[in-house]
Amino acid sequence: MSYKIPMGPFHPALEEPYKLDMICEGETVVDAKLHIGFNFRGIEHLAETRNYVQVIALMERVCGICSNIHTLTLCQAMEQLTGLQPPPRALYIRVVMAELERLHSHVLWAGIACKLMGFKTMFMTCFALREKVMDVLQAISGNRVNYSMNRIGGVNRDIPDPLALLPVIDQLEREIVRTVIPILTTSVTARSRCAGIGILTREKAVSCGVVGPTARASGVPQDLRRAAPYAAYSELEFEVPVETAGDVRARLLVRALEILESCRILRQALAKMPPGEFHAEDTKLVFPAGTAVSRVEAPRGEVMYSVSWKENSRNPSRVHVRTPSFANMPAIRWMVAGARLADTPLIQASIDPCYSCTDR
Amino acid sequence: MTVLDSILAKLGTAEPWVQKGGVYWLDPCPLNVRNLAKAMNALSARFVTITAYQLPAGEGFRLEYHWDLDGQMLGFPYRLSGNSIESIYDLCEAADWIEREVHEGFAVDFLGRDYEPLLLRPGDKLGVNLREEVVR
Repeated sequence: MSYKIPMGPFHPALEEPYKLDMICEGETVVDAKLHIGFNFRGIEHLAETRNYVQVIALMERVCGICSNIHTLTLCQAMEQLTGLQPPPRALYIRVVMAELERLHSHVLWAGIACKLMGFKTMFMTCFALREKVMDVLQAISGNRVNYSMNRIGGVNRDIPDPLALLPVIDQLEREIVRTVIPILTTSVTARSRCAGIGILTREKAVSCGVVGPTARASGVPQDLRRAAPYAAYSELEFEVPVETAGDVRARLLVRALEILESCRILRQALAKMPPGEFHAEDTKLVFPAGTAVSRVEAPRGEVMYSVSWKENSRNPSRVHVRTPSFANMPAIRWMVAGARLADTPLIQASIDPCYSCTDR
Repeated sequence: MTVLDSILAKLGTAEPWVQKGGVYWLDPCPLNVRNLAKAMNALSARFVTITAYQLPAGEGFRLEYHWDLDGQMLGFPYRLSGNSIESIYDLCEAADWIEREVHEGFAVDFLGRDYEPLLLRPGDKLGVNLREEVVR
């Protein structure tokens, strides 16, 4: 006899609301339905009522974790429309901010994953590390969450002495390698809680169109930093970690390896940062009528902005945001099918879902 | 022959790609959305999203279908004089949520599929989020 267990809208593991109705037989989940929209704020509609300066501040608030990525993607789209080119230094600063944000997001996620595995101590360790990443972000931008770094044609703040940040990145990497990485990669407990559960096959990953670490953990080697480089990524060396098992452990491993790659990218970007201006000349912008699309590899996967403008208007006529969680969350249905009920919070958390992003 | 040229050959059109705003556009697309989805699946392209626009003065809607092929963004705009278009959900599972979102936000019907509510919204009202007027 099957029965329904509703999980949410207050999630047992995550701090945001959504609902998963699971159809179970005994302790086994046989099917699930997702319900979203609890965080719907009508941001796309609101964007149509904001001018080109205000809309950047608005879109930074789509997500509390990858806020910088949203303004980066939006500004790239608006730069395509206006033809305003950011100077080379700005492109490197954008890489630094994007990779620090990836570090912050992955370490935060590792903490939550550890908590769900029963590693409460590691949760505290990860969040202490996350604080240090946020300290670096604050030192650069002056802000801890919404950094206000991106503008059309560059960035708002310079990194006056990039080489001074190198020892900080080295220290962060040492701590992460000493504490987080061994737990995520070699711990018996992590393996027993994560291996073989929440499997998303490569075929299903392709069919669902999942993105980011969720796709790469299922053997789909897609990463926009490599496939369609933006900012200064084409001038930097890095690997794209790919695992093939498609289970929670594979998603854990991919993120652990990506933390190391982010440190590698950060070191290169800080060392190679060219001198010069960090934003284009201040001028009143005139937007021609048209549509521009921009994509960026956020910590959770591909973010896409489609921005349209009417001739001589101060406001966009349409801003459409396709966030990575919007692409990844439908796959949860297939990940939890056949899983034990007790594993489902960890399985859901393994895609690092962001409900604010999804609902907008 | 480039990859993009070979796509045109497979789609059976002489219309050139127009690169604009970060996208290779094919406008008009010679295939309907379902045949386009089949062609894109055959090329192992990845469905990205549908961007919907309400056109002014009751002129209908424009839906832009975005597909990714090895990092290149391909765009296929479709103009709807009414408010319906065929669903590609059965051909492309990734289109499920965005079809539901466009249905709820713009009251566009994707024919040939069932809907379950995606976002929380008042009762059974459609088009309350992004349409300028609620039509139902």
